Amino acid sequence: MVKVRKFMRQSPAAMTFIIAILLLIVTFVVRPNSFNKNTFGSIILLTMLLSFASAGQTLVLIGGGLDFTVGAVMSSAAVITTFLMQGQDGNLLLVLLIVLALGAIVGVINGAACIKIGLPPMIVTIAISNLIAQAQYLFAADGKSLGYAGPALIKSVSYKIGGFLPAIVLYAIVIWGIMFYLLNRSVYGKQLYLVGDNKDAAKLSGIKVNKIILLSYIFSGILSAFAGMLGAAYMTVVSAQVFDNYAFQSLIAVIVGGTALSGGVGTYSGSIAGALMMTVLSNGLTALALADPIKNISYGIIMILLLFAYNRSSAVRQ
Amino acid sequence: MNSLKNSFMRFKRSPAFTGFVLFMIAIIMNLIIRGPGNFFGASSLGTLFAKNAPIILVTLAQAVLLITGTLDISIGIQLALVNVVVIMLPQELGMSVPVAWIFGILAALAISAVGGFLVAVLRVPSILATFALTYVIKGINVLIMNVPQGSVPKEYYGAYDTVLFGFLPVAALIIVGVLLMWMFVKRTKFGKHIYAVGANPRNAFAAGINPTKTIMKAFLFKGLITGIAGISLTLMLAAGNPLQVEGYGLRSLAACIIGGLGFGGWGSMSCAVFGAGFLVLIQNAVYYFFNFLQDILTGFQITSYWQNFISDAIVLLGLLMTTVTAKAQKETLKQGLSRQLKRGEKFAKQ
Repeated sequence: MVKVRKFMRQSPAAMTFIIAILLLIVTFVVRPNSFNKNTFGSIILLTMLLSFASAGQTLVLIGGGLDFTVGAVMSSAAVITTFLMQGQDGNLLLVLLIVLALGAIVGVINGAACIKIGLPPMIVTIAISNLIAQAQYLFAADGKSLGYAGPALIKSVSYKIGGFLPAIVLYAIVIWGIMFYLLNRSVYGKQLYLVGDNKDAAKLSGIKVNKIILLSYIFSGILSAFAGMLGAAYMTVVSAQVFDNYAFQSLIAVIVGGTALSGGVGTYSGSIAGALMMTVLSNGLTALALADPIKNISYGIIMILLLFAYNRSSAVRQ
Repeated sequence: MNSLKNSFMRFKRSPAFTGFVLFMIAIIMNLIIRGPGNFFGASSLGTLFAKNAPIILVTLAQAVLLITGTLDISIGIQLALVNVVVIMLPQELGMSVPVAWIFGILAALAISAVGGFLVAVLRVPSILATFALTYVIKGINVLIMNVPQGSVPKEYYGAYDTVLFGFLPVAALIIVGVLLMWMFVKRTKFGKHIYAVGANPRNAFAAGINPTKTIMKAFLFKGLITGIAGISLTLMLAAGNPLQVEGYGLRSLAACIIGGLGFGGWGSMSCAVFGAGFLVLIQNAVYYFFNFLQDILTGFQITSYWQNFISDAIVLLGLLMTTVTAKAQKETLKQGLSRQLKRGEKFAKQ
């Protein structure tokens, strides 16, 4: 037991990955007929999508903040994508630019509110996500969007390479590459870790703390918006607030991936493993064909257990 | 004249000042849009209190937790839990309504005990633990009541809606009752412990206060107020709905922060009252303003989505504006404290 704990502390990402695989095996044992190409395909696709949404969240959390707007930005991006594309591929580039700009603007608002006004990031991002959620209804009459994503975009996400590998993994190469570069190879990444670990010490050593934090929120907004666009392609028909629960899911994925709520530690590979675990869990609960309320209760309880295992504040008595 | 100015300066530095200013702005907006006669009329005040007592009470409950430095975002769906318990027990088991109310409050206390256990004992960060708890409570609610249903006997919800003596709504009395409860608790040791733990748990522990027990008790107190709020909600709606008012969790949080309660160990219940009042009155003002526009400009249609969006935007602005002033107040407080400490040292050296 002690060895397991040590392993968990040393490499939370690997631990999470192992737990995810174990959960997958359990699902297959309990429901053998879910062991097929479709299940693997959908697990991979949803894991990719969640890992994109969690990318921004990873950055923000390492910097010591919190971003609850991931879900709302994703949903808004999805609604706007279908609204603007209307089933045509023509203005794909324009839509991409608009969507990314939207993400960046939300990131600026988040960052400015957290830094300049000094509000706790949890509160301000929740309030902003609420506002964005309301704004979606202005675009989507009665909550249903007014259009579809373009066919090429849909194909680029859902086409099954070799019959089962969703094409979205090609996007993953790009995004994961960007994330690994940012966190491990760039100056920004190093400074981000320092800022999250000890803001005052970082400021005293000359790091422009405000700029780093603001950038993390902007990246988060952009990445979430991109994830929303891909999500629109995956779901084809979106309604308002469709991806709102990605806020909580991305947060949990990042935390069980080894990034602490207090910042300063964490890796993106951990977040990917966390995304896998969350997807496998969701899939498992669905495969068990439980009634909705039981699903919710199990989901909540498992979340609590994971949070207990992975992220606790230090005791007052030391 | 000088003492008046002094007491005003003191009031300006109190935590409730920012909330008070925003509250006054909201009242003035309402007076402009509706006219003093309409706004202060018994029926309009009565409806205002009756409809909004749940959110105001929930804000008061949330304030207790915010002072200790924790929060509970599941407080909204807990209202629905009390609601379904209070409706289903008389309906399915033939229990009498007042006894069902007691069970409703017990349900709120039980779920708050779970939340308190997660936050105080297991030390899971409160935002995450209570967010996860939302899923569990939603599941429990639907297990208790699967579709919206139920009714409340007329004498109960009629009593809730009445306005005593022509100007005192019953709902307002409930709010005053909870405030009196808080005033009593504030003067006890527990009340002081809440502030100490919220300001600095480590120092509080060093002074002999048990943060775990204090936070647990704070959650239970919050549960009590939530139970009362849930009963208010049931009386207001006269029906049951397992998946309603989930958004009250976030709104009570926003209301508290607008009132100035964003930091642990700082603030008072009047912050919460002003914050909740601001929220409620802004929604009221936006609603009547758009009705007014629709009356004046023929063919001017505005969906409720725009109304929601604008009142949420105003709330966000309120949030952004207050914390500037609240930070200034906290700075003043810190400076005052450090000045006091320095003076004490001077005396000690002599």
